[in-house]
Amino acid sequence: MSETNEVRETVPTWHVAREDLRAYGRGELAPPMLWSADTHLMACAHCRAVLAEVSDPAPLDEGWERLDAELDAPRPGLMESLLVRTGMADHTARLLAATPVLRLSWLGAVAAVLAMTVVAVNSSRAPGTLSLFLALAPLLPLAGVALSYGPALDPTYEMAVVSPMHGFRLLMIRTVPVLTVALVLNGLATLALPSYGVRALAWLLPALALTATGLALTPRLGPVLAPALVGGVWVALLVVAQMSGDGTLAPYTVPGQGVAAAVAALATGFFYLRRDRFDAVSARVPFTGPSGGGAL
Amino acid sequence: MSDLLPAPTVSAAGLTLRYGRTAALDDVSLRLGEGVTGLLGPNGAGKTTLLRVLATAVPPDRGAFSVLGHDPGTSAGRQEVRRVLGYLPQTPGFHPDFSAFEFVDYVAILKELTDRTARHREVRRVLDAVALSDVRGRRLKKLSGGMRQRVALAAALVGDPGFLVLDEPTVGLDPEQRMRFRELIARAGEGRTVLLSTHQTEDVAMLCHRVIVMAGGRVRFEGTPAELAARAAGRVWSSTERDPGAWAGWRTGTGSFRNVGDPPEGADLLEPTLEDGYLLTLDGESSEVRAA
Repeated sequence: MSETNEVRETVPTWHVAREDLRAYGRGELAPPMLWSADTHLMACAHCRAVLAEVSDPAPLDEGWERLDAELDAPRPGLMESLLVRTGMADHTARLLAATPVLRLSWLGAVAAVLAMTVVAVNSSRAPGTLSLFLALAPLLPLAGVALSYGPALDPTYEMAVVSPMHGFRLLMIRTVPVLTVALVLNGLATLALPSYGVRALAWLLPALALTATGLALTPRLGPVLAPALVGGVWVALLVVAQMSGDGTLAPYTVPGQGVAAAVAALATGFFYLRRDRFDAVSARVPFTGPSGGGAL
Repeated sequence: MSDLLPAPTVSAAGLTLRYGRTAALDDVSLRLGEGVTGLLGPNGAGKTTLLRVLATAVPPDRGAFSVLGHDPGTSAGRQEVRRVLGYLPQTPGFHPDFSAFEFVDYVAILKELTDRTARHREVRRVLDAVALSDVRGRRLKKLSGGMRQRVALAAALVGDPGFLVLDEPTVGLDPEQRMRFRELIARAGEGRTVLLSTHQTEDVAMLCHRVIVMAGGRVRFEGTPAELAARAAGRVWSSTERDPGAWAGWRTGTGSFRNVGDPPEGADLLEPTLEDGYLLTLDGESSEVRAA
């Protein structure tokens, strides 16, 4: 690479060093210097000229293309940026950003419901009030997972179904974070009930059991009926337990927790075995388009 | 129906799908080749169901089909079909808060383009192809219906699919937008197989080199637009008053009636159009067309 008189050897501080430009041209400049160079090159014709001179053309084209792509790429939203910052691949973050239940409005609603329940439980010292929290907490992950996938809530559901990405994989990409977030919120609520000790954690196994059963029944009953039915059965079970029992409700006893664990394991296995069923729209139900506001 | 496709790229045999007691598809067989094929039919003819089956959104109850040599009956084959498929659904949904770029980027991710640079290059390419580069940063909810339809077409074009399925892509567009959209589709049809449903014979006349007419879940005609028009040869005539013997008749701009059906002796026969051929193909099939 020949040197020319126009380019000074000692570059001022507001220009990128020649060595760095050479590394940039080879695609070897590492962040954060890479980002500074990207930003600076957009504005500085002088450095672009130096870069053109010190670099092989082929890697340089890649550099321009990357720069072009950066300039063109939309700035991701808050949720997406946070996810990318935690180390998630940007394409996975984009898939998650399209999940309605990971928006702040939904998370805020769940947090509000939990906070109100915790306040109710803490303010009333009646023995049965913990049951209110324990009854509600398992329903929130179930609802979150149900609302994260399916024709009723995902406006691009049909496009997603016919994409080469397997339906089960997309379901998992969305379900696992939704479930995690719901469980964390529930956990935080549990921490706000210190006087009940470990008993306040009795929601965890029922929550897993309900979510797994809801998912396992989705291919057969559809994404609306399956979780609604599972939620309904849970509430009915609690009402029956309340009427027939005295003291701790059956699902929160040790045998009850054992049953919940067994149901969770069985339903997860069943769900996994039927994973291919998530790869097409159920033929029984004609697709009528999303009910949300996303359609044309 | 005389001409045989030299090399069908998509073929289906005996596709049947029932919703309850209604047969949405009733033993449908067809073959498609490169270029744009129009799928005509009245509402409820089964057009959307056929497209959804061919796009692998819904499995058929019976029958089989293949797309560019892949069999969607198996899990691996279905994956391969989806890799060569571009699909524009009848009501393409959007995440309204996404920009045009983000939405197409999202679909590109679903189409397995995970490398960011290559993916963004592809997103720019397809947005450019539908002449939307200037508004790529605008939110979808701020775009007009025609623009959003073009965004959806751009999404369908991601990855340069060999088989493009477009469900009524020109519905809801004004005449100028429709014209523009037809140009885009005509260009998209070069070197790939495009199946396009519509109930506008005009779309077919201007775009398609082949046409399939469906009614009641069955294929009623398969051939070239000229062959469909030729079906009405000798069965279209002009009269000053509405001819009660005609299967359908309407007053034209000149004030005279255009009739299709079995003409009376000595009738003033007219050159048949694609629309005449279509109406006669539906003869006795659709009360909706008869009323029109």
